Amino acid sequence: MNQIVYERLIQYILENQDRFYRIAYSYMRHQEDALDVVQSAVCKALEAHENIKNTDAIKTWFYKILINECLTVLKKRNRVVLTPDIANQGELYYEKGYEQGDDIEKELDKLEMDVQGIIKLRFFEEMSLKEISNVTGFNINTVKTKLYRGLKLLKENIQEEALWED
Amino acid sequence: MGRLEKMKEIYDKIVIPEELNVRVQQEIMKSRRQQAEKNGASQRNKFRKIIHSMAVAAGVCILFVAALNMSPVFAEEAAKFPIVGGLVRILTFRSYETEKEDIGVSVEIPTIEMITEDTGITVDEMNQEILNLCRQYADNAVLRAEKYRTAFLETGGTLKEWGEHNIKITVGYEIKEQNNDYISFVIRGTENWTSAYNELKYYNLDLNTGKIVTLKDMLGGDYIERVNENIREQISERQKAGEIFFTPEEGGFTGISQDTKFYINRNNRPVIVFEKYEIAPGSSGEIEFEIGGD
Repeated sequence: MNQIVYERLIQYILENQDRFYRIAYSYMRHQEDALDVVQSAVCKALEAHENIKNTDAIKTWFYKILINECLTVLKKRNRVVLTPDIANQGELYYEKGYEQGDDIEKELDKLEMDVQGIIKLRFFEEMSLKEISNVTGFNINTVKTKLYRGLKLLKENIQEEALWED
Repeated sequence: MGRLEKMKEIYDKIVIPEELNVRVQQEIMKSRRQQAEKNGASQRNKFRKIIHSMAVAAGVCILFVAALNMSPVFAEEAAKFPIVGGLVRILTFRSYETEKEDIGVSVEIPTIEMITEDTGITVDEMNQEILNLCRQYADNAVLRAEKYRTAFLETGGTLKEWGEHNIKITVGYEIKEQNNDYISFVIRGTENWTSAYNELKYYNLDLNTGKIVTLKDMLGGDYIERVNENIREQISERQKAGEIFFTPEEGGFTGISQDTKFYINRNNRPVIVFEKYEIAPGSSGEIEFEIGGD
């Protein structure tokens, strides 16, 4: 059975690697760094696959490892990444004509890391509150509170129902 | 459009470097090698050791013994698997791992065992079919991998590089639901180097009748139309929520047939399953629709 979990994990990784890269890039803002982070998260996950209790939990389990990895690397460098890596030609984070997006991106960067993370998981990765709770380790109410606070700071006009439904 | 939605669009357009897949594959290969070494080290395990020595003795790598009698060793291994509703249980009939020319094969073949004798349900035929299915898949997968190996070596690949591919063929099963009315399980065959031949076969057994359950049994005569309508509704709802499906023109959902795959969930409802790429992009994986209820 262990073998099946292992194969399922590999399958999950292969199928979702693009998603991993995007979320890693949104933290690292640098191609090489994002690649490194994804690679080491994959390595750690495969090494620890025996800890997976059931195959349904692979997704949140993997995201937890990945996001921890991003935060650890950022913390180690002790630097706040506010701007995309412009030197990296051809890898522009946003396309021209999205200046408005640029604003909110900066605003998002100003939020606390965990609030940023929750917003990213909710709106970019479209996770349910329950899944976010599993990834971040906060209970659902804390997730809701942080999400609400973050959105308020962003002055986002998100309809309440859309926010809390799962 | 909200600003966050706009930002999501930007997010979705983050360019994925080609190197990503290379790096990910590297890690997987590394891990597979480590796993293989670890497995080698744990050969002291009685069960594996016996399988291994049998494989060596036979001088062939593929071991399929068709007898349905369980040896004590297998029974011991099988005792770990759950008992279903007191009537029937699913257990591993044969489990083995082999490797030949760096093509790894790992197979777990399930079998259905009646615990109560006088139910009048016969499962021998189904067990034989399951066995044949697993055997056929593993055999064909080995042939495909050998073909790939020949092509790889003929086009300048070295044996060492081939070894690093860590080709792995896996046949296994997963119990979807087991209760007093039904057992539902799926057999999966996968090859780690290609997803083109992955195979899924669902078995749903009605424990009250002892027969394989069909969608018609569960939903009645006009089920095709009703299921189609239901799935279309679910698709449009999920599209609203941002999920991507192929349009019928792109090869998306056009309707179910009597062979459509499904399993039974804990609510005793059928769940229709579409394989990866069948009606939506591969990134969505397998797609499921529960039918019935509200």
